Amino acid sequence: MIELQSVTKIYPNGVRALNTINLLIQAGDFVFLVGPSGAGKSTFLRILFREEFPTEGKILVDGKDIVSMPESRVPYLRRNMGIVLQDFQLLKHRTVAENVAFGLRVIGASESVINDRLQEALEQVGLSHKRRMFPDELSGGEQQRVCIARAIVSNPLILITDEPTGNLDPMISMEIMQLFLEINAKGTTVVMATHNHNIVNKLRKRVIALVDGRIVKDEAGGTYAYE
Amino acid sequence: MVNFSSVKFFVSEAVTNCRRAGLMTFITISTISVALLLMGGFLLATLNMESFLNRMREEALVTAFMIPDADSDQVKNVKMRITSLEEVSSVQIVTPDEAAKELFLDPTDQKLLQIGISSQTNPLPTTIRMKIRSSQDIDGLIRKLKDIPGIESITYGEEAFKQFQGLSELLWIGSLLVIILLGLSSLFIVYNTVRLTLFMRREEIIIMRLVGATNWFIRWPFIMEGFLQGIAGAIIALILLLISYRFMLTRLSILIPFFTFDLEWGHLIKLSVKLFLMGMVLGISGSLLSLRDLRSFSRNY
Repeated sequence: MIELQSVTKIYPNGVRALNTINLLIQAGDFVFLVGPSGAGKSTFLRILFREEFPTEGKILVDGKDIVSMPESRVPYLRRNMGIVLQDFQLLKHRTVAENVAFGLRVIGASESVINDRLQEALEQVGLSHKRRMFPDELSGGEQQRVCIARAIVSNPLILITDEPTGNLDPMISMEIMQLFLEINAKGTTVVMATHNHNIVNKLRKRVIALVDGRIVKDEAGGTYAYE
Repeated sequence: MVNFSSVKFFVSEAVTNCRRAGLMTFITISTISVALLLMGGFLLATLNMESFLNRMREEALVTAFMIPDADSDQVKNVKMRITSLEEVSSVQIVTPDEAAKELFLDPTDQKLLQIGISSQTNPLPTTIRMKIRSSQDIDGLIRKLKDIPGIESITYGEEAFKQFQGLSELLWIGSLLVIILLGLSSLFIVYNTVRLTLFMRREEIIIMRLVGATNWFIRWPFIMEGFLQGIAGAIIALILLLISYRFMLTRLSILIPFFTFDLEWGHLIKLSVKLFLMGMVLGISGSLLSLRDLRSFSRNY
């Protein structure tokens, strides 16, 4: 599903964020990306959805080389990906339903497709009853659920998420993780960068540890450790 | 692919955003209105001046002088040929006696005696005065008149004509320059205002990019917004322009009674179309310029 071949990313200021990364993530995998701040986790995620270009190397997503992909094809690459970030990134003046439907509307989906998929996504995250509320009227956990609903509403192949529980308390974090597990169980590949020891240690999924832009550990059923 | 649901989305986004960013929308529309009002004012002034100059030119007389010993048959013949010319709207024959009478309106004028005119001798030739239909045909008419036998010389205030022509060209160049300068400066203001609204809606653009909206899908609502603001600006400018034009006409006709300014409906409609087009171009190009590089709407997280 995702393959990185000798990927290096050096920023214009000389910082080497990723250093000769070779990696294969199979379809349906659940991968935790761990490491200290500045290890290159966010850069790793950003190059997966072509927000950054690697300085060297090749990246294949679903068999397509996304480095040489023309800029005009990038939106279509992202339609196969759901992206969930730490700060909830919701449009405050739109209702829950509008925020979730936004993900479909901007890819030109028809009204009937939007209605069907919207209902399904809201049910999956358990927010059907709050569809007419505005983000400010929701709790942090609920806002993150709306983001997840928006990310999965287009049935993506891959879900990329950066610290999705960073702003949430432990109990809500576990609820959110439960959601990611359900999404993964339906066949979506999940790549998650996190600092949350408890979650990583409890779920025992594949753990890739990055330090100074290098993979120092790649372990199936691993724990949170990178020393 | 842009379908009906997308078009509906663009329009509703554009209208909602115009309403939501009220102050910015107000600034953009006002900028476009003021620019168009000034541009329209200059265009209107130029059109009026040109129509005034044209009228002045058309009222000017072309005068032909017959050879000194021309007989009445020759004069009749020449008059007939001139009347048949399409450029000429009216012809008046002034006999030497009539010309002398005109000159002798002031019998004390000693200069007349110096050039040999007295009540006994009259060296004046028969004069043919003609009015022309359009000042554009003046050169052709002069050529044709020179070919008519019996005509010795022709005068038509060549200098005045050239001055009118020069003035008219100067007016057009001036107003073109003003329009370009005003257009560029208002484009700059519109560009910056749109840039500010884009900054206010940065999150929205980032989310659109993340969920896979194409660059043109992101741009369309803004282009639509620019279009609507351009139209709104043009409507306001046009209303203000027509009101102030009416007001100026009334004031001018009182102040300078012999100055008649008026434009045909055709001209006013053309002017309105021009203002609408300029408004749309300003609105849309302001948006497009601001949206050139959507990659700058990225996020550091």
